[in-house]
Amino acid sequence: MGATATAGFGPLLSVARAGELKRKQTQILQVFLQGGVSQFESWDPKPGTELGGPFRAIPTSVPGIHVCELLPYTAQQMHLLSLVRSINLKTNDHGVGMRFMEKGRKNGNFPYFGAVASRYLGEANPPLPGFAHISTRGLSEDTAGFLEAQHAELKLEGFQAPANLEAPAGVAAASQSRMERLRRQLNEQFGKDRSKSLIDAYDASFQQAGQLMSRRQMFEKQSAHDLVRYGSHPFGRNCILARTLLEQGVTCVKVTHHGYDTHAENFNFHIEQLGEFDRTFATLLGDLEDRGMLEHTLVIVYSEFGRTPKINHRYGRDHWGASFSVAMGGKGIQPGAVVGATNAKGTEVADREVDAGHLFHTYLQAAGVDSMADHDVEGKSIPIGDPATSAIKELLV
Amino acid sequence: MRLPISNFAARPSTVWLGPRSLCSALNSRTGLLTLAISAVLLVVGARAGGPADLAREIDTLVDQHLAEMGATPAARTSDAEFLRRIRLDLTGRIPTLAEVEAFLASEEPQKRIALVEKLLTSPEHARQMQRMLDVWLMRRRPNKHVPQPQWEQYLFDAARANRPWDELTRELLRADGAESAPRPAARFLLDRELKTEETVRDIGRVFLGRDLQCAQCHDHPSFGDYLQRHYHGIAAFLNRAYLFKDPATKLTVIGEKAEGEVKFTSVFTSEQGMVAPRILDLPELFDPPVEDPQGLYVQKPDKKTRGEPTHSRRAMLASAVTDPRNDAFRMNIANRLWAAMMGRGLIEPLDMIHEDSENLHPQLLQRLADDLHQHGYDMRRTLHAITLTDAYQRRSTAAETDPLAAAVMKPLTPEQLAVAALIATGVERRYVEAAKAKLPPQPAWDPDTLQPPLEMSPTAAEQQRRWRLEAEVTKATAGEVAAFAKVFISGNETGAFDATASQALFFRNGAKLTAWLTPRQGSLCERLLAHEQDLSVAVREAYLSIYSRPPTKSEASLAVDFIQGFESDRLAGLQALVRAMLCSAEFRLNH
Repeated sequence: MGATATAGFGPLLSVARAGELKRKQTQILQVFLQGGVSQFESWDPKPGTELGGPFRAIPTSVPGIHVCELLPYTAQQMHLLSLVRSINLKTNDHGVGMRFMEKGRKNGNFPYFGAVASRYLGEANPPLPGFAHISTRGLSEDTAGFLEAQHAELKLEGFQAPANLEAPAGVAAASQSRMERLRRQLNEQFGKDRSKSLIDAYDASFQQAGQLMSRRQMFEKQSAHDLVRYGSHPFGRNCILARTLLEQGVTCVKVTHHGYDTHAENFNFHIEQLGEFDRTFATLLGDLEDRGMLEHTLVIVYSEFGRTPKINHRYGRDHWGASFSVAMGGKGIQPGAVVGATNAKGTEVADREVDAGHLFHTYLQAAGVDSMADHDVEGKSIPIGDPATSAIKELLV
Repeated sequence: MRLPISNFAARPSTVWLGPRSLCSALNSRTGLLTLAISAVLLVVGARAGGPADLAREIDTLVDQHLAEMGATPAARTSDAEFLRRIRLDLTGRIPTLAEVEAFLASEEPQKRIALVEKLLTSPEHARQMQRMLDVWLMRRRPNKHVPQPQWEQYLFDAARANRPWDELTRELLRADGAESAPRPAARFLLDRELKTEETVRDIGRVFLGRDLQCAQCHDHPSFGDYLQRHYHGIAAFLNRAYLFKDPATKLTVIGEKAEGEVKFTSVFTSEQGMVAPRILDLPELFDPPVEDPQGLYVQKPDKKTRGEPTHSRRAMLASAVTDPRNDAFRMNIANRLWAAMMGRGLIEPLDMIHEDSENLHPQLLQRLADDLHQHGYDMRRTLHAITLTDAYQRRSTAAETDPLAAAVMKPLTPEQLAVAALIATGVERRYVEAAKAKLPPQPAWDPDTLQPPLEMSPTAAEQQRRWRLEAEVTKATAGEVAAFAKVFISGNETGAFDATASQALFFRNGAKLTAWLTPRQGSLCERLLAHEQDLSVAVREAYLSIYSRPPTKSEASLAVDFIQGFESDRLAGLQALVRAMLCSAEFRLNH
């Protein structure tokens, strides 16, 4: 149904952009709502029911789809998104849920989705790291798993420049480039009669470092215009940086919005949190669309789980992995669709139950990666997606 | 160059056989004399069956293989290449400037052999083994129930005493954290919290070379010998064990119940199975029949006490894993030790040994495994033998023809890299001097027994001093090493090379290296600056300090030109040279 909503402009636009599209690699934008956004207060509202909470549901740009009234701006971009409302992770643990959502596997040292995207969607030796994660806190995760470390996330502390981006004080730019030239000469000399793979991998990391240094204005200026549109709060600024990084060609950009673990005052906190998220995300999504980037960029909005139907005595909702939702859109995703459903009270999945394994396959296939194939890593053949699950075909274009 | 076999057999390995002239004679090409001396040595019984003999066997096997493959072995390493490699492999460090100069200047024909022996009994070797065992066993997981310093000390002591691998394995798997072994030994099980998935998986990987994770839910789809019952057979040793927080000591220990079975269902075929404890395809170990239900426990579990069953399945795990019939145990450790020295296991990945694995040299792996078994799992013996081989001492030139024809380059581990940078920049020397100043000239008392030494020979006293000095320096540099290493630690478990932009930025711009490159207190840059009038001397010292070798002529002139490019700012030029060398692949890799 969503497909028809946008069909009017489809052919015209795609003809105009066909040439450009060919050159564009597939990219990913992940927006991670850390702590577990409430499905009731976002994608799967149950207004007027026993456990539905105080908020209303509002119509969206896709007839028939309603979301919580805390997402008025995103509701207007609904024709660019689709929802899955029937996720059951069978865990209520932050760490387990988060890794399951990232890796498509509940256990094991598997790579994060961003690292997999970097490996299969990026160039062989990309000028910039393939996976960047903008977050204002949190520990460093082992995101590459058994894949090459070059696919691990480049952790960016908010919109600040990454550590060590500035040359040491007093070292002139000319000295920097001389030093860099010498380093390459030394590597050439050393590599003359040796096998190249390690030396090249090492060299590539320094070239990426150099690229980041020369593009450090990415981390410096954000236009007043953008700050007004996105919001000058950290999440707004992080999303401006995310757009910039995508424009600069980073394969997968992940932005984390912290603070959804609302064990107390769930409703007040969601007003605040989603108040920040909604306009910023809708603006970013709109920008990607306006700039023709959405056609080659898969957008995913997700949490490690949802929140309990039951409202506790502190007006909180607790951890709930048994029935919650994600939103996705852009490259490879049928827009304006809703897959799966919870029951009337939202206490369990009523239709088309899936878990993070299905989502992982879906994301990859939307991006054009055969998720049923194997990773070939140092002689091991490891299925990219969990062979026990498969993609949600009805979401794929 | 290969020595004639008769000479090789007579290489002294731990016994000093005679004056230098005798050793030179051994190397002479006068065949008769050599033969005669060899015969004498054999009569004396000089280490027949010692590491040198094993080394010779390894080389024979490798050479046969290369001949069959039609592969030409790479040339022998230069002394400088050998020194850097053996230093990193056995002690986790690059050689100091003084050490490089002394080794290159030495005309002792057996100097490589002597060096290997010296290093194998050094405290730095115990440190390197400690770090290697730590990563093998714990894969850098955070500490939960055993603090890291205690765990490190436990491993260090084990490495210092060269404790046999089978004995260590049994201790690690048997320890309950309460009484049966030193508490740190229980870390392997405690810090995995006895979670079946992690514990079974890592027992398989670390001790059997088999990652059975995929066999948890079904027989492995592509490896015919990774069966669901193998996974659950190991799980059955542990399924009755549980973590117990002792209310009296507040320590978490391992308790065990007397009942409980392991059942499993294949997610593919829905076939069900039940399995008693077993290691791979060895027979199942059934519980003894219960005659008196009252006799099930030595100590019944309750809220205040951990359970101790009369028949402990968990206690059987240790002996089952190291059972001589369990070939996987010896193959795994042989393959791991070979990989540690040679940069690549004979079977890769190290934790995916299965019946169809590509094995570079099955006969060799079996020989190493059997030798370990026959010699009481003496890991030092295996390392000793491998490092004596021609196969180990080859250059790391590209060898398209066969992986055994040339040395494989190894990225330095995070700790090796940190220590190497400390040594190269001359910063470690500061810590060494400070530690020396702190140590009393003669040990006042024995640090182990806290008793004054009754009588201690000067050699023993010097030995003790060396061990204490190493411990002091390690402790003093621990913060620097950890902060540096942190940047390079990743969860990549394949041993594949890690190179990220963040690491490159750290090397290129990081404040730590910048501080280490400041000319002060005898640091490398201070010493180089002292030679600013003669840049070729400075360049030579930089090469010896960072690359552990002198520069070639063309390298020297390139570097001198480079420094001169900075015109009057000699310090900037020297620092840029040092930084570029530290950022280069030659420094990053053990080659």
